[in-house]
Amino acid sequence: MTTADLSLSYEAAPAFSAPLRFFITAPLFGLIAGLVLIGAPELLESRWSAGALAITHLIAVGFMLNVMFGALFQILPVVAGAVMPNTPTISGLVHLGLATGTASLAWGLGTGSPPFLVTAVVVLGTTFAIFLGAAAYGLLRTPVAQATPRDLRLALAGFGIAGTLGILLALTLARGFALPLPLLVKLHVGWAWLGASGVLLAAASWIVVPMFQITPNYPEKLTRYWAVATCAGLALWSVAVLMELPLVELPLAAALAALSATYAITTVRLQTKSRRSVPDNTTRAFQLSMSCLVAGLACVLLAHQLDYELLPILAGVLILHGGFVSAIIGMLYKIVPFLAWLHLSQEGLKAPNMKKLQPDAPVRRHLAAHAIALAALLVAAISGSDLLGRLAGVTVVVEFALLLANMVKVLGAYRTARAA
Amino acid sequence: MTQIVDGRGLEPPQPFELVMEALADLPAGGNLTVLLDRMPYPLFRILDRDGYRHNSRIRDDGVVEIEIAAP
Repeated sequence: MTTADLSLSYEAAPAFSAPLRFFITAPLFGLIAGLVLIGAPELLESRWSAGALAITHLIAVGFMLNVMFGALFQILPVVAGAVMPNTPTISGLVHLGLATGTASLAWGLGTGSPPFLVTAVVVLGTTFAIFLGAAAYGLLRTPVAQATPRDLRLALAGFGIAGTLGILLALTLARGFALPLPLLVKLHVGWAWLGASGVLLAAASWIVVPMFQITPNYPEKLTRYWAVATCAGLALWSVAVLMELPLVELPLAAALAALSATYAITTVRLQTKSRRSVPDNTTRAFQLSMSCLVAGLACVLLAHQLDYELLPILAGVLILHGGFVSAIIGMLYKIVPFLAWLHLSQEGLKAPNMKKLQPDAPVRRHLAAHAIALAALLVAAISGSDLLGRLAGVTVVVEFALLLANMVKVLGAYRTARAA
Repeated sequence: MTQIVDGRGLEPPQPFELVMEALADLPAGGNLTVLLDRMPYPLFRILDRDGYRHNSRIRDDGVVEIEIAAP
């Protein structure tokens, strides 16, 4: 492959504002999730409660998806050479759609209001279609020479499947469609956690972990086959779920858990070989994330065998808050100052040192708050105490407020450097 | 004479900074070879903007090698 081939796919790089608006909006949804928990601490008692569904989607769609879609506006051009068409308009529409659609979804799930659920279906469905269409357009025009661009395509397909299942679920709740709800929920969670978020996290990790944490590259066999095997396994598992074949479903679920654990353990092992003498904040966030993912997977497998309502709740807290949120904030603290630096440099301006754009001390404080919030959520879920549930809500509000403050500080440093 | 910048194993943005420093010192018509761990798409945009000719390839050992010629 030559640069001449690649340069055919270049268009103007997206502005810093394209991803940053998502990164600044995302913590607001985490903050709202914390406030909901303060007001209704009993929602940690059952994953089927209206409040639990609302808070889960505030984190999964409001926080995680906002950051993931926002990051993809920059990751696609920076690591894959793929630029979405008309990025300013597309990113604006997707940002608006995600924000309003998530608010409507959370309110609809929390109150059981059909009009809000239908509005969420229309807005989020349209937003997904716009984003996935634009991302596919960019990716299909770039060569698949490395693992990350190929796995990003698989992740986008996973988002499409998870989103479609989510729309069916919301319509089942809002309009009383005669669809098997528990079965659809299982498929939706499987594709949203693993087929979409898990594959995207791994695809980003293939690049971000060696690049920013100065580790050796992931083993080639892992980057070549992991995402393909995971998506194929998920497809087989889905068939087993749809045909209600528990004897086939369980071994497939165990195989998928083993694949996920392989990714997590490999990541931690690579980090032990980092050239850094002292682990940085991102490395620590990833270590927490990978540990929580493995523990959460164990809860998922146990929940298959034991009818114990606490297990799915612990799995949800460990995988969503401990696993994905930890990895996402770890990546944000590398990606955001790097993008600020890159945009300043590309504009021909003198860019400050990365440490000046994103100092370590506030990041350390935020990561400590995040770890405390995770522990508080687990203790509150296990104890069933309303008081501890409210305290956990307070810790969640604090951690997302600190993240928001840190994102705004990078924006401030960027603007100061531009104005200088 | 071709200069070589080896940016492998360095955390971003250090490789980028090394290349930009080398480009600043590159005489008209001079050549620069850059060795990196991955394709530097943002660098390509700057090279295109500033009129540098460049060719890249992924070697069998996975190293990305970029040949840059000053305008």
